[in-house]
Amino acid sequence: MSCHVLHERAGSVAPPLRLRARPLRVALVGQPNVGKSVVFGRLTGRYVTVSNYPGTTVAVTTGRALVGAEVCDVIDTPGVTALDGLVSEDERITRDVVDSDQTDLVVQVADARNLRRALLLTAQLADVGKPMVLALNMVDEAFARGIAIDVPALAEALRIPVVEMVAVEGRGLPELRDALACAARPHVPAHPHASGRAVWAHQLTERVRRVSTLSLASVQETLARATRRPVTGLPILAAVLYALYLFVGVFGAQTLVKLLEDGVFGRGINPAATWLADRFIPIPLARDFFVGQYGLITMGLTYAIAIVLPVVATFFLMFGFLEDSGYIPRLAIFCDRLFRVMGLNGKAVLPMVLGLGCDTMATMTTRILGTPKERLIAILLLALGIPCSAQLATIMGILGGISFTALATLFGVVLGQMVLVGWLAARLLTGDRSEFVLELPPIRWPRLGNLLTKTRLRVWWYLGEAVPLFLAGTALLFALDRIGALTIIAAAGRPIVTGLLGLPPATAQIFVMGFLRRDYGAAGLFQLAHSGELTGVQAVVALTVMTLFVPCVANFLMMVRERGIRTGLAIVGVITPIAVFTGAGLNYVLDHLGVRF
Amino acid sequence: MSSITLVFGSNGTALSTLRAGSRGVVVDVCCSEAARFSRLVGLGVTPGARITVLQTFPGIVFLCDQTELAVERGVADSIVVRTEEIRR
Repeated sequence: MSCHVLHERAGSVAPPLRLRARPLRVALVGQPNVGKSVVFGRLTGRYVTVSNYPGTTVAVTTGRALVGAEVCDVIDTPGVTALDGLVSEDERITRDVVDSDQTDLVVQVADARNLRRALLLTAQLADVGKPMVLALNMVDEAFARGIAIDVPALAEALRIPVVEMVAVEGRGLPELRDALACAARPHVPAHPHASGRAVWAHQLTERVRRVSTLSLASVQETLARATRRPVTGLPILAAVLYALYLFVGVFGAQTLVKLLEDGVFGRGINPAATWLADRFIPIPLARDFFVGQYGLITMGLTYAIAIVLPVVATFFLMFGFLEDSGYIPRLAIFCDRLFRVMGLNGKAVLPMVLGLGCDTMATMTTRILGTPKERLIAILLLALGIPCSAQLATIMGILGGISFTALATLFGVVLGQMVLVGWLAARLLTGDRSEFVLELPPIRWPRLGNLLTKTRLRVWWYLGEAVPLFLAGTALLFALDRIGALTIIAAAGRPIVTGLLGLPPATAQIFVMGFLRRDYGAAGLFQLAHSGELTGVQAVVALTVMTLFVPCVANFLMMVRERGIRTGLAIVGVITPIAVFTGAGLNYVLDHLGVRF
Repeated sequence: MSSITLVFGSNGTALSTLRAGSRGVVVDVCCSEAARFSRLVGLGVTPGARITVLQTFPGIVFLCDQTELAVERGVADSIVVRTEEIRR
């Protein structure tokens, strides 16, 4: 099938590739989880996060690609199930890209296993009237399921180029580049209604697709079944959480942290830095600035690299594995009923679990939720109760060393608060809940390359984001300490910190640190606990308050960006008293029951 | 928004009433709400689609064509299926 023939048939205008004032803009559009971001990465050489669940991409990314002799701007878009009708916020972003005059070409990326669904979207894209190419991705998986598609017949029926691909392996990429030059307006009979389009898509699919015997007894299918059934699914969930605890809480937060904190920093870097400072920096003030109690190296860098980095790195690795395996959306089946109490539906498990990685990113992912009310509740609960990776691991590191009941108490209290606040929010806020309809991705064995790339980029991102703030925070603490403000803060906070919460006065400054970044504060608590200044009850109370406390600066800014300054401030205004009073209540109850962890 | 009329009776049963393991063909998607209709159609739940019910508790999970979908009961009420014989 040559380009030429296609154009004659389509009767379309001149081929879209020609000299132009600006680069040709190509939008990659398709249903969720069909591999748009993989195709994008292959075309442009830019990596955008690739995972195995619908809704990984919630914003637009643009990159440059060379097609033939021409430079194109390629746009990666969030997945869409439909372009018309009611759409969620991420889908609206895609619709805007498709409708934009700036977009010259549309490449529809489709899952070859789901041709019928793909064609439903093709029909909607045809209405937009842009030249198109259809890329059937994952033909290897379709083949494994006994699905064969008559590509020439499909191309002829649609009158656009159709390319078969296995994007993760780069198969079909040259063909896709070639096909861009032949993009044409698809030939789809006009249907005023969705039902008419559905009939057309069904009939065309039946014509060009052959499904031979379905063998569904593979290992993947068995795992897929086991993870979604309660009898096997709940033990698997427990096992996954335990593995997470072992890898991040024990290996990361204890073994690696010990190695780095006591070994590399305690015996290597910090003594060396102190020695150098003693020798070469004559002014005591400047010396302390680097290696003192609130020193940039002895505190800031030690916290960031020795305490938080190992924990974050192990977490991102494990988390990436779970993301790519397709496991996380399956939890939605178990969570649906609980989330309904909080005015959400099972789909909200995605941003909530992602929040364990980073609350800031997860706040953006709430775009996949159906209604504004659901988004607001999810953002509130993320800020309130979901500890981010660094915080989670310091919690595990501190309380894991005390007792399992201590850990269970903290999670029980935090979860209870989330359900209570969610329940109240669901009743007090106006708006609707959307219905639970979620596509479950297939269970796949994660690809090592993607896993490592993703983890590496996330660790780099963490270092770029956290280290400067850790250093700035340390400098601030140093300044506050020198001008005596720290004692004033501690004195001012005393009625709450020592009185209500029953914590040592030194914790006041840790809450100041927690304002800057939650993990920074958590790292401070970690050191305090290590030096034996916290009792078990105090550790539980302090960590509970820290977990419920206001989110870090970055999360706050993201809330403002997504929902506006008023909502952002309102959320902080709601959360702060909840955190303090929960801590006070917990302290009171534990104290009166005489609990000792 | 187009919503097709309900065709119950001998021709079809609501997906929510089917047992795990049932197979059939979607004959109708009937909802009063436009949002539910367009969402289901977008996911490929359209007349003619072959479905297999995979489980019914805690949520309903079914295979539609090659897509595994999890839905709440209310949504499954509006998917009308003509069943084939139940295997096994």
